[in-house]
Amino acid sequence: MNWRKKKHLIIRLLACLNSLAAGFLVQAAEDAPVHKKKINQHDVLPIVLLRCTACHGAQEQMGGLDLRTPKGMQKGGKSGAALIAGKPEASLLIQRIENQACPPSGLLLKYFVQRPSSTELGTLRKWIAAGAPEEPGLADVATTQPDLLVAGEDRKHWAFQPPKAVLEGHTIDGFIAEKLEVNGLSFSPEANRSTLIRRAYLDLIGLPPSLTELNMWSASDDSQWYSKMIDHLLASPHYGERWGRYWLDLAGYADSEGGVSADPVRQVAWKYRDYVIESFNKDKPYDRFLLEQIAGDELIDHANVPEVTGAMVENLVATGFLRMGIDQTGSRTMNFVPERLGVISDALKVLGSGVMGLTLECARCHSHKYDPIPQRDFYRLKAVFQGAFDEHDWLSFKTRTLNVATPQQLKRIKSVNPPLEKKLKALDQQLKEASNTVRLELLRQHYPRQSEDDRAATLTALRKADNTRTLKQRLLVERLQRVEVLPQDGQSKSVQAARLVVSNLEREIAVLQRQLAPPDAIRALWDRGRPSPTYILRRGEHNKPGKLVGPGVPSVLTDGRTPFVVEKPFPEGTPKTGRRLALARWLTQSEHPLTARVLVNRIWHHHFGAGLVRSLENFGVKGEQPSHPKLLDWLAIRFMQDGWSIKTLHRHIMNSRTYRQSSHVRDLHLKTDPQNRLLSHMPIKRMDAEALRDSILFISGSLENQRGGPPDAVRVNRQGLVSVGSTENGRWRRSIYLRYRRTEIPSFMDTFDYPVMGPNCVERNVSTVPTQPLMMMNNAHVRELSATFAARVGKLTRSGDAGDHVELVYRFALSRSPSAVEKQLGISALKKLRQDWDDDSVRALETYCHTILNSAAFLYID
Amino acid sequence: MNPRKQFSFSRRDFFSRTRDGLLGGALTQLLCNDFFGGTEALAQAPQEPYNLKPKRSHHPARAKSVIQLFMNGGPSQMDLFDPKPVLNRMDGKPYPGSVEGIGNTSTTHVGVMMGGQYRFAKHGQSGLWMADVLPHTAHMSDEICLINSMWTDHPNHDNALYKIHSGRLFMGYPTLGAWTAYGLGSENQNLPAYVVLNDPLGPPKNGARNWTAGFLPPVYQGTSFRPTGSPILNLKAEYNQPAAATKSAQDLLKQLDKIHRTHRPHYPELAARIESYGLAARMQLSAGESLDVSRETAATRALYGIGEEPTNSYGRRCLMARRLVERGVRFVQIFLEEQPWDSHVDLADNHRAVCRRTDKPVAGLLRDLKQRGLLDSTLVIWGGEFGRTPTSQKSGDVYTGRDHNMQAFTTWMAGGGIRGGMAYGQTDEFGHQAVGDPVSVHDFHATVLHLLGLHHQKLFFTRSSLEERLTEFDHPRVLKEIIA
Repeated sequence: MNWRKKKHLIIRLLACLNSLAAGFLVQAAEDAPVHKKKINQHDVLPIVLLRCTACHGAQEQMGGLDLRTPKGMQKGGKSGAALIAGKPEASLLIQRIENQACPPSGLLLKYFVQRPSSTELGTLRKWIAAGAPEEPGLADVATTQPDLLVAGEDRKHWAFQPPKAVLEGHTIDGFIAEKLEVNGLSFSPEANRSTLIRRAYLDLIGLPPSLTELNMWSASDDSQWYSKMIDHLLASPHYGERWGRYWLDLAGYADSEGGVSADPVRQVAWKYRDYVIESFNKDKPYDRFLLEQIAGDELIDHANVPEVTGAMVENLVATGFLRMGIDQTGSRTMNFVPERLGVISDALKVLGSGVMGLTLECARCHSHKYDPIPQRDFYRLKAVFQGAFDEHDWLSFKTRTLNVATPQQLKRIKSVNPPLEKKLKALDQQLKEASNTVRLELLRQHYPRQSEDDRAATLTALRKADNTRTLKQRLLVERLQRVEVLPQDGQSKSVQAARLVVSNLEREIAVLQRQLAPPDAIRALWDRGRPSPTYILRRGEHNKPGKLVGPGVPSVLTDGRTPFVVEKPFPEGTPKTGRRLALARWLTQSEHPLTARVLVNRIWHHHFGAGLVRSLENFGVKGEQPSHPKLLDWLAIRFMQDGWSIKTLHRHIMNSRTYRQSSHVRDLHLKTDPQNRLLSHMPIKRMDAEALRDSILFISGSLENQRGGPPDAVRVNRQGLVSVGSTENGRWRRSIYLRYRRTEIPSFMDTFDYPVMGPNCVERNVSTVPTQPLMMMNNAHVRELSATFAARVGKLTRSGDAGDHVELVYRFALSRSPSAVEKQLGISALKKLRQDWDDDSVRALETYCHTILNSAAFLYID
Repeated sequence: MNPRKQFSFSRRDFFSRTRDGLLGGALTQLLCNDFFGGTEALAQAPQEPYNLKPKRSHHPARAKSVIQLFMNGGPSQMDLFDPKPVLNRMDGKPYPGSVEGIGNTSTTHVGVMMGGQYRFAKHGQSGLWMADVLPHTAHMSDEICLINSMWTDHPNHDNALYKIHSGRLFMGYPTLGAWTAYGLGSENQNLPAYVVLNDPLGPPKNGARNWTAGFLPPVYQGTSFRPTGSPILNLKAEYNQPAAATKSAQDLLKQLDKIHRTHRPHYPELAARIESYGLAARMQLSAGESLDVSRETAATRALYGIGEEPTNSYGRRCLMARRLVERGVRFVQIFLEEQPWDSHVDLADNHRAVCRRTDKPVAGLLRDLKQRGLLDSTLVIWGGEFGRTPTSQKSGDVYTGRDHNMQAFTTWMAGGGIRGGMAYGQTDEFGHQAVGDPVSVHDFHATVLHLLGLHHQKLFFTRSSLEERLTEFDHPRVLKEIIA
């Protein structure tokens, strides 16, 4: 491995034990408590970290005491030494725990600690009684000795071997054709031009072509029109909005923390979303893209620069990648070590399933059942993150963002925001009052005999949490709730007027909020240079510590005889461990067996509806075999040779004959290749939620082109429908810019398989359920957009000729002309609909447009 | 498209045998058990899309369906089902143990011992204890098995709700209802397999996460039937259009989709999609009918307290639940708005009020199921996410309520193979902790699955190469003792 040769890698973490003993101890650590060997500080430190260091550790040293090391224990604090070797009963550490002075009863919940168990106390006592013995550096890390837990045999699995391929003389089509021929098949004919246009547009930018572009490509007599179209689409800013979304799924992007029902909103998660979109648009090399997301904070010492640049901000925003999972540790009661470990494990899962194609999390509780990943390797990887994600040195919610911005950004915040914030504050107050007016009017209308005192008491009751209301208060609130849900047309004029005031205020607030300069906060992950030691947790349980491990990567992906080399990135500056930087560098080595393969396979999956390896997240022993191993390797090597350029990869794939095939399935295909593993044809694909919604908006001329920034708010009505408000222009932005609060996923997106992020989504479901037709047929918003679409068509065909209408509807919605039959059906349907609508041709066209948007031809891409 | 990820209600062979395919055939008989035949639970053919076809159980089932009367907020066990004379005697005295183990808030809010708030008596031939605020339920004692020794893992509503519904403390995991639908499918293809009936006053705490399919395919998710108006979101057009125009549009769509499909042979998902439009149309008819309690006799309605306050609302939902179960719906959950049992303040009054709303309807449901011969095949579950503390809790300046208690609570079951008239498990003398035959949430889930003919270990879903189960890796105990 050439990273061994890199001259700047200086610090080597060497194990002290020879690997035989190391192997034995790890195995022992997994199965049984550690007490078979002589007791030492590593039996005690995990207990002290878990129970004591919240008050006497990295963040606070109450009473001047720091218990993180045996030295600190002996040094003690204001009350003297915490331990007296050999004398447990005389040691303050034991005394305080025994008489329950520590941890103090009143602070248990504040510091999220629990008392030591009697077994733990026994271990502490035993260690002190034994004279508080210490053994030097026992951290288990990879050494130059062969690894006994992972054998050479284990490394033979195809995906653990570096990809090998000769680039010259091969093409994608060559590999595909070879397999087709062996199976007595051949390529399907090329799809027709309008199919290719629609396919490429929806594939690359997630939108159909405009009429102008459709006409241009359809009429072009340039023999290179197709590849020019691909280049044109790759240059579109919409490209990043489409392909960035796939990456956001992989990262588990969400605009809220989740975990508790309050589901707090993540105010600046969108900065990461914009970073991803921009990176795709700029075709940032994938190795760089990973480097920034995994170790952006270790690239530049932003705290020690004369001026913060945009690039520095971007690097920090990128690390949001590892902070997208569910994080309930901001809650009043859910910030104990097990919950923190859950957050860390989610980050590792995202990295494993998304980037490495491994089910690493299986090794959290026990060595992996199928893959040669010992539990030790999971914890070595956890140690890589310990400098930033430290369950014993956890940052509170308030301190878990960095405030870093360029001088220009800061200047803008300072000048733009204060007056706006002042206005917003006043409006918020008005909104509160207006909402109360609505409530009072409702009570006055429906309960005319209720006293004004009771009405006022209702408002008071609403200010209390529902579970602390008295019975009287509960009943008052219930009375109000009962009339709040009645249909609007049954409400009095004064209620309706008061509600209008509320909705106007809401709109005004939304407009002002959009004008605010984004705050300088960044939801980053950053190393703080003081990692706690990392112990294997037996059965994954936070209070069952095993052996001490150091940072490292899964042994099976190395030769097993190479130490994981870490260096501090800023020796003279901000302290950082450099562990994640080392990980990112290792991941993006050209010999890495997985990084490039996993990525090219994902890109392939999005183009063809299935990967060459179908289990995108699992290249391990239980994953599926690649259908075309040689092609996979060729693509991986080609990709790296092309400077890790994803856009170049798209060009290779989309210009291939394989991609340009028709999606028509012949009987022969069904017989020989029923699952299309050989790619004897292009599969049809259903539009995903984003493509579907964005296309409808685009076709109806209702798509707002504003890019980036804070997400668009959603509203939840009492029936549970989550809908999206329009912008001040009465239009809607692309789906990627909506707010994705975990508990408020917009109903349209949810219906068409927008995923539950748990913690991420490696592959979306494609479901076919009746709620989809119900949404498309009955939803008011879909209907309104159909009407807007119809108005647009009506305006463009002044003749009013039904045939022209049908023609235009097809070109807008399906990017092609109707067939003769379809045209005839359309004309007679319009005629019939006009009768049904009492001779109203405008309404007839609306119904027609709505029907086309409901058709399979619209939903599926050939 | 990757067939592994194709989820749908139907498959091609089914579609090809449906004579008129599309929007006709409302309440069709075509989709009954015989038509599909059974398949072994979970032994889905690799290429078969996930669906709601009835599946064969692992062992003979005692219950065909479940009605879960979910009592959100945490009802107080020592006030309703589990009388504690020692606690009553100590009323007003300090708690004798460590207050750190009490409740979920700071220890400074722990008050003094609070005796039971209502009078208890023994009921039925079996002599089950019940408080006087549950007079109607008490009459049904001989059908009921009280489990007094339930315990859970978290004293917060959010997490305890996730736990009781999905077996995990966190969001994103499939609920008991979703696992049931996944394991057994449905006997009625015109209705969802898993239906949720919400309170018109509002959704429960945690909202739709109480009936999520988590990582299971969305076809197994609970469908919330709206309590007023049309029962499912978007079930009826939210715009005005003459019926004739809707009919013309449907005809056009049918023809266009037929052309589309004819030109694209061998894509089963296209047929499935066309069928989903048919199913949507049939649901528009049958969902409304199934919830229409006006089709019941006056006597039946009165049994549930419909037409009188404060039982009308809950009574309607209980009767709807019976109608749904009768039509083959597998799992019905009834919720109250937000969390009315959560009585940190004024417990005596608040609990009495919730009992008044629910007691008569619940008893009416049991009686009605029994007289129709449905109780044998319908498991009724009553309970919340945790119990309450033996001590009072300071809230504001008063000590009139109880805090959350994860260490003990009472859940009861009836019907569906349950032995009626028994109390199972014991708590300590204060009702604070389950001490005899403690029942974990996993034990509870395993028992419900068992009654449905499913084995908790055999019921799994493979996600990212991991086998996921409702009961995790634990080895839960099926409570054989409470099964008749």
